Amino acid sequence: MPVKIETKDLTVSFGDVDAIKNVSMEIFTNRVTAIIGPSGCGKSTLIKSFNRMNDLVSNVKITGQVLLDGENIYGTNYDVVTLRKKVGMIFQKPNPFPKSIYDNVAYGPRIHGIHKKEILDKIVEENLKKAALWHEVSDRLNSSAMDLSGGQQQRLCIARALAVEPEVILMDEPCSALDPIATAKIEGLIRTLSRDYTIVVVTHNMQQAARVSDYTAFLYLGKLIEYGLTKDVFENPQNDLTEKYLTGKFG
Amino acid sequence: MNRLLDTGLERLTAMLLQMGKVAEEAVRISIESFMTGVDVYERVEQLSDTLVRMNVDVEDKAFELIAKYQPVASDLRIIKSYIKISNDLERYGRYAWDISFIHKRLANFEKCEDPLAIIEEMGEKVISMVQVSIEALKTHNSELARKLIETENEVDALYFRHLDHSTEMPMSSRCLITNTLVVRYLERIADHATYIGESIIYIATGEKVVLR
Repeated sequence: MPVKIETKDLTVSFGDVDAIKNVSMEIFTNRVTAIIGPSGCGKSTLIKSFNRMNDLVSNVKITGQVLLDGENIYGTNYDVVTLRKKVGMIFQKPNPFPKSIYDNVAYGPRIHGIHKKEILDKIVEENLKKAALWHEVSDRLNSSAMDLSGGQQQRLCIARALAVEPEVILMDEPCSALDPIATAKIEGLIRTLSRDYTIVVVTHNMQQAARVSDYTAFLYLGKLIEYGLTKDVFENPQNDLTEKYLTGKFG
Repeated sequence: MNRLLDTGLERLTAMLLQMGKVAEEAVRISIESFMTGVDVYERVEQLSDTLVRMNVDVEDKAFELIAKYQPVASDLRIIKSYIKISNDLERYGRYAWDISFIHKRLANFEKCEDPLAIIEEMGEKVISMVQVSIEALKTHNSELARKLIETENEVDALYFRHLDHSTEMPMSSRCLITNTLVVRYLERIADHATYIGESIIYIATGEKVVLR
């Protein structure tokens, strides 16, 4: 199984607190990997270390390695702009720019130097289609993204992320602000996109992890407790902590 | 803290153990009565019908728990296995019914020789397997469940021995058919005891074993 991202002994600390402790794991290419665990276990910190979002926190200290296609993204010569292009991110709360639907999707390509209208038109249509939003918005591309529903806004954010042709998509609780119908659409989309992209999803919702992912990682107090095929983790977890977390027998 | 699911699981367990009691009685009295020539057909039919109904109830309850709580890990293994075990217990009842039915319908002990010694030996083993399977179910005892395989092998050996020698037996067709059918039913009950053993090992360890 080809590996897209590999962490080696990754430790991420904020001040004196280790949010992630010695995590070594492989994220497989064109598979959906879910990261689950109780609040504060380090899920978001882990996913953010895959595109160096933690760098923005002032007192952060990162040791160990994160390899993307075999290259250490924390290496001194690694270009963060290239990294962010390769690794897109979707957040908990949909965060479209206060611009038109069209401009949201065209934003990234424009930054990367594409200005021809015909090319941008094509990119916008293609990516809105990939994000399963095209049919709902094709007749109002110039209206404000802020007028869309929450679920539509989240799919727009996915289209915006796809428009810069990433290889990996990180999703941090992508459905927690959405109703069940919008959630089902995003979940369906995650499965469809996994044909072409490597996807990592952080979720509080265990059933969502079970539904969308091929692999599941369980984190507890910053440590990787268990990692394996989702069907195995949910049917027969090997670690007692995983068993307790999944069945709600914690504390 | 008790989880909402726990109340449902306790109820499901109680239903299954009640089925175990009914099934054990059905198997025991049908075999014992066959050996002594007493007709218990009506009582066994009652017990078997009860098991059929309870099997449906267990399945309904299990589906309710799945729909309401989306169980995973050991909870899911228990519920999946209880559906299977419930079916095995229902089969215990059905084969017990078959034995008492054959006894009522075909056996005529005034004209037949005594029931074969092989049936007595198989019967004792089968009753003990049923009891062990239910005991293992009570505590999810996988070690006890594994012990079923030894007895299962012994029952199978007796079954094969009967088949190998049946045509040489100096008895009427009626008696031979009666005995052969009962031997076959006993062998099937032993199989279901083994299936229950496999389910218990799966609940306890997550391991999918085939004991047969």
